[in-house]
Amino acid sequence: MSVRSSLLLLAGALTLQGCSGRQSILDTAGSDAAVLLTMFWVMLGGLVVVWLLVNGMMLFFHKLSPRKYDESHAQKLIIGGGIVFPTVVIAALLAWGLSIMPDQRAPGDGLRIEVVGEQWWWRVNYWPKGADAPIVSANEIRLPTGQRTEFTLSSAEVIHSFWIPALGGKMDMFPGRETMMSLHATEPGSYRGQCAEFCGASHALMAFEVVALAPDDFDAWLAREAAPAVAPTGDTAQRGAVVFQEQGCGACHTVRGTAAVGQVGPDLTHVGARASIGAGILAPTIENFSAWIYHTDDIKPEVDMPAYDTLPDDDLMALATYLQGLK
Amino acid sequence: MKRVIQTLAAMAAVGIITGAAIVFGGLYNVSARAGHFPGVTWLLHTAYVNSVQFRAPAMADVPDLDADGMVALGARHFDGGCRVCHAAPGQDRWAVPTAMVPKPPHIQTAVAGWNVNELYWIVDEGVKMSGMPHWPADRTDDVWPVVAFLAQVPDMTQAEYDALTARPRISDDAPDDLAYCAMCHGVTGFSTNPQIPRLDIQPRRYLEQALQSYVNQTRDSGIMHVAASRVSPAALMELAEWYSRQPVVPSAMSSPADAELMAYGARLASAGTRDVPACTSCHGPKAGPQSADFPRLAGQSRIYLEQQLTLWRDGERGGGPRAELMQKAAHQLTEDKIKALSAWFSAQPAMNPEPNSSEDG
Repeated sequence: MSVRSSLLLLAGALTLQGCSGRQSILDTAGSDAAVLLTMFWVMLGGLVVVWLLVNGMMLFFHKLSPRKYDESHAQKLIIGGGIVFPTVVIAALLAWGLSIMPDQRAPGDGLRIEVVGEQWWWRVNYWPKGADAPIVSANEIRLPTGQRTEFTLSSAEVIHSFWIPALGGKMDMFPGRETMMSLHATEPGSYRGQCAEFCGASHALMAFEVVALAPDDFDAWLAREAAPAVAPTGDTAQRGAVVFQEQGCGACHTVRGTAAVGQVGPDLTHVGARASIGAGILAPTIENFSAWIYHTDDIKPEVDMPAYDTLPDDDLMALATYLQGLK
Repeated sequence: MKRVIQTLAAMAAVGIITGAAIVFGGLYNVSARAGHFPGVTWLLHTAYVNSVQFRAPAMADVPDLDADGMVALGARHFDGGCRVCHAAPGQDRWAVPTAMVPKPPHIQTAVAGWNVNELYWIVDEGVKMSGMPHWPADRTDDVWPVVAFLAQVPDMTQAEYDALTARPRISDDAPDDLAYCAMCHGVTGFSTNPQIPRLDIQPRRYLEQALQSYVNQTRDSGIMHVAASRVSPAALMELAEWYSRQPVVPSAMSSPADAELMAYGARLASAGTRDVPACTSCHGPKAGPQSADFPRLAGQSRIYLEQQLTLWRDGERGGGPRAELMQKAAHQLTEDKIKALSAWFSAQPAMNPEPNSSEDG
C-alpha cells in the first residue's frame, strides 16, 4: 500500500472515529437529538437516491441510449424532475423541520437550569421547581433522564453558543438577553458540551461535562450539590484550606460553608466531585489542580484568573489537595 | 548656471569644514563661565516661555489645589528634590547652582508670572538644556501637589515653609533615615495628611515589596521614586521593619460618609459582585489568615485609596510580584464603586497587621 493511500485510510478512520462518542450527533442520548438524527439520515438517504437518479439518467441518455427524444416527453421530464419534484421535496423537508422546532422550545417538566457564558467557563445555577434561590455550580451540567429540562441561557460579555450534540440542537447565548431551550435526556451517561460560537482566545477550551442521571440519582446528586463543602481531612488538605484563605481565593470563588463568598469565578464548593476542571479541559487530579493554579494563563490563554506562580511548592500542593478533596 | 552651482558647492564645502572643525576640533567653547553669545540667552528664553504657554494643559484640567494636605505634600517633595537649585521661600540660594548656565531662578522668581497649568507643565516635562529635569515617573497626577505648593510660594514666609518641612525628632534606636521618611509618614507610620498613606497598618513584607517596587520602578510615583532613591537599599529594609513593628493607631483616617454609600461599600468589599472580587478576602478586615503580601486597607486614607484604585483600574499601577492580581481585580471598577469602597475602608478601625498574617504564605 502506498504512503498516500495509507494516509487516506488513516484520515478516514480518524474521521469516522469522531462520529461516535461523548460529543457526537450520531450517538444520541436524548429525544431532541434523536429527532435531529432521524432527519439527518432521511435527508442523507434521500440525497443518495436523488444523486443516483440524476447521474443514472445522465448516463442513460448520454451513453446507454443516446437518441433523439420526443420534445413533449423531454419537457415533461424537465418540468417534473427539475421544478415540481424539488419544490415538493424541499417544502416537505421544511414542514418537517419546522414541526420539530417547538420540541426544543417546550417548557420544562420542573427543573430549570440557568447557564451564563463567561470568558471561558459556564456559570450553572439549578432551579428546582418552586425554589426561591438557585443551587450554584459551574462547568458541569447534570440533568435527570425521562423529563424535559429547561435551560435559560445568557452571557456576561460576548456571544457564546450552548451545544450538547448528544442531547439536541444548539442555542446562542447573548449578553443582556435571555434565550431559552429545553432538552429531554433519555439515556443515563456522560457527554460533552462545547461552546459553538467563536468567543475569543480560549473558545476551543470552553467545554463542559454533561451527566444525565436517572431521576432518583439526580435528586440525590442535587441534594449533595446543595450541601455546604465538606471539611478538609488530613494535614495537607487542612493546610490547603488555610492557604486558600491566606491567598484570598475567596475574593473570586465561593466555597459554601466557609468565608469564601466571591462571585467572579466558578463556585468551588464541590469542585473535586466534578468530572473536569478549567471548564471541561483537565481531569480533576491533584497534579492538574496544581498545574492550573500555577500555569493558569498557559493552560487557558487570556483567562481572567491570575496565575499564582509565586506560591511556594508545598503551599501549591496543599491548595491542590484541598480543592481536589472538595467532593 | 554652472558658475552658480560651483559657488554653492564651494560654500557648502566651507560650511562642512567649519562645522567639523567646531564639533570635532573642539573650537566651540562649552565653558559655562564664558556663557552664551550676546542675544542667545534672549532667544532661548523667549522660545522657552512661548513653548510652555503653547503646550500647557487647559485650566479646566487643574484639580482642586486647595484639597487638604496637597500643599504640605508638595512642599516636602520640593524640599527634597527642588530646593537644592531653587532655594526655599525666604532663603538665599546655595552657591553651587548660582554658577550654572542658565542660573536656576530663586523659587520666588521662578513662579512669578506663570499660571498653575503652566507650572504643572514645567514640573512635569522639564526644560532641556537648562538643567531642569522632567518629573521622574510616567504617572503625572502626583505632580499636582508640587504645583499646589508652588501656587502658595509668593505669599509664603520662611517660617511657614520651615513648619511644612520640619523633620520630626527621632529616638536613638530608630534607623538613620527615619527622620526623612517621617516628614511625610510620621515616626510611627501614622500619617495625619490625607494625601499620604499611613504605614502603621501594613505588614513588613508588604512594605519591603512596596519600597523595592519604587526602587526598581515597577510601581510608578515621581514622589516615591525620588524618596526611595535617596535611601540605601539596606536602609529601606530597616525602615520597612521599623514601620511594621510600630503600634497601630486604632483610629480611622476618615470619618464615615453617608449611610447609603457606606452600606454599598460594605457590601462590595465583603461580598463583591460578578465583576468585582470581594476585597476583604485579601485585604481584610477579616477573621482568618491573611498573606503578608497584601496591604491592609482598614483605616487607610480615603483620598489615597481613591487615587490608587483609579490607577489600578486604568492600568497605570504596578507593584510587587503579586501586582497582576490587583490589575485583574480592579479593571472593572466604576467611579461609584471606587468612591464607595474608599469611603468604607477608610472609616474602618485600623488593625494590627501581624497577628494573623503568615510570613511563610
